[in-house]
Amino acid sequence: MHFAARFNNHTYAEFASDYRILVESNIKAMEYFDMDMVGLISDPFRETSAFGAEITFPDDAVPKCEYPIIQTYEDVKSLKNPDVYKNFRTLDRIKGAKYFQELLKGEVPVIGWIEGPLAEACDLAGVSNMLIQLMIDPDFVHQLLDKCIITAKDFARAQIEAGCNLIGIGDAICSQIDRNTYDNYIKERHKEIINYIHEQGAKVKLHICGNITHLLPSLKEVGMDILDLDWQVDMDYAFEIVGPDVIRCGNIDPVVIQNKSEEEVIELTINLLEKEKGRRHILSAGCEITVNTPVQNLLAMRKESYIDTNE
Amino acid sequence: MDDLLKKIAYCVEFGKINLQSPYPPDMKGQQGADELTKEALDKGIDAEDILQKGLVIGMEKVGIKFRENKIFVPQVLMSAKAMNTAISHLKPYFQSGSVKRKGTFVIGTVAGDLHDIGKNLVAMMVEGNGWEVIDLGTDVNSQRFVEELKNHPGSYVGLSALLTTTMINMEEIVKEVKASIPETKVLIGGAPVSEDFKMKIGADFYSADPQGAVEYLNAMAMA
Repeated sequence: MHFAARFNNHTYAEFASDYRILVESNIKAMEYFDMDMVGLISDPFRETSAFGAEITFPDDAVPKCEYPIIQTYEDVKSLKNPDVYKNFRTLDRIKGAKYFQELLKGEVPVIGWIEGPLAEACDLAGVSNMLIQLMIDPDFVHQLLDKCIITAKDFARAQIEAGCNLIGIGDAICSQIDRNTYDNYIKERHKEIINYIHEQGAKVKLHICGNITHLLPSLKEVGMDILDLDWQVDMDYAFEIVGPDVIRCGNIDPVVIQNKSEEEVIELTINLLEKEKGRRHILSAGCEITVNTPVQNLLAMRKESYIDTNE
Repeated sequence: MDDLLKKIAYCVEFGKINLQSPYPPDMKGQQGADELTKEALDKGIDAEDILQKGLVIGMEKVGIKFRENKIFVPQVLMSAKAMNTAISHLKPYFQSGSVKRKGTFVIGTVAGDLHDIGKNLVAMMVEGNGWEVIDLGTDVNSQRFVEELKNHPGSYVGLSALLTTTMINMEEIVKEVKASIPETKVLIGGAPVSEDFKMKIGADFYSADPQGAVEYLNAMAMA
């Protein structure tokens, strides 16, 4: 994201607020690094903006939500689901999906993006507040999460109709909760959104930042097609738990890709690809390629995967 | 006395704030850290004992369980709430000087970074271990840290960053802090930070989890 914006000589504010810049930056990076997919992700606050929060755009940082709009149970009850075609930020992403298809003519898979239910609830209510509510107020939690999944589905459908082949669900905060809480509040909602996206004809990539080793036994049951794994997760163990049908995406440490030498990146890539031979796997960083990653390191990573695929 | 202090420690460990709190479910309807701390003070138990043998013991267990992935952030937040409730009863004793803190810890998320959950967890656990914590919030520049250090001589500094783009700002803060008050010890933490990075920027300690910061600070206080 940020890497692509800078690669195309744009600030992150421009990237996150203008779909043309986002799409063109991603295509430029895709062509230069010979990547296999492009995406519409920019920041967590598209749906949050549609729900009514004030979002600001610092020049070279991720957009920020000025203050959480949900504090009390009354706020949850009065929260209205937005029309995703009427908010400038959600509409911008929908237009991005169309623009990708216009430029790529269906030749490259396009990943749309929605916030997962817990991530969106945290965006609306504040992270600490929401995590505490998980422990003390089931009514608050259920009502808010239910409203979040209505908008998640609306936004996913709009992006699929606009041309996305896959939808990424970002539910980063889930790595910070225990499995029991995940099972009680989130698992069924993940299943519901994933089933819905499948019904609309798209595939699903589930992304949860951080170490999700403890959630893998639950995640294997939610039905995603691709599971993003951050560098903290052991790929072999994940394979063992989620099985051969789920495509695992990851998971070289992005700080390592940024800071180590080209040779070290090559070595890490070769080791990972060697381990993943014969398994359904997408090579990527775990998680995002950082803005200061040297171009030659990313090229080296790509080159190794190309050699491997052609062996 | 011991029994009451054990109960306080238990409430902190399991996040039982007060009688009304529904959490944890198996302690519903029972007194929490709030009532028990008040009761202990009413019974004449020394505030220092309540801190050291109640709150600190409870919070240490929280730190260890969090490090071992036996509990997660929501549970830690509940423990911190229980601890804060108890600490509010001890405030007058801190102010009068009858209860001594181990030292002062100035913490903030570095300039450009708005993430606060990691910083908050460290702040809570350090405070629960008997330290005075001055939380400068998020997006804090070097000048602000130096100012606060001048107000609180001998303080330790904690720097947090979640982003690879903001971790580089740690270097400038370390440099400025060391230039102004060379003996200051600086701890760093956050998802992209590492021992290598600590060495590179001249910080004094890196910890992958909040308990590591607590253990380092406690060791320094004992030295």
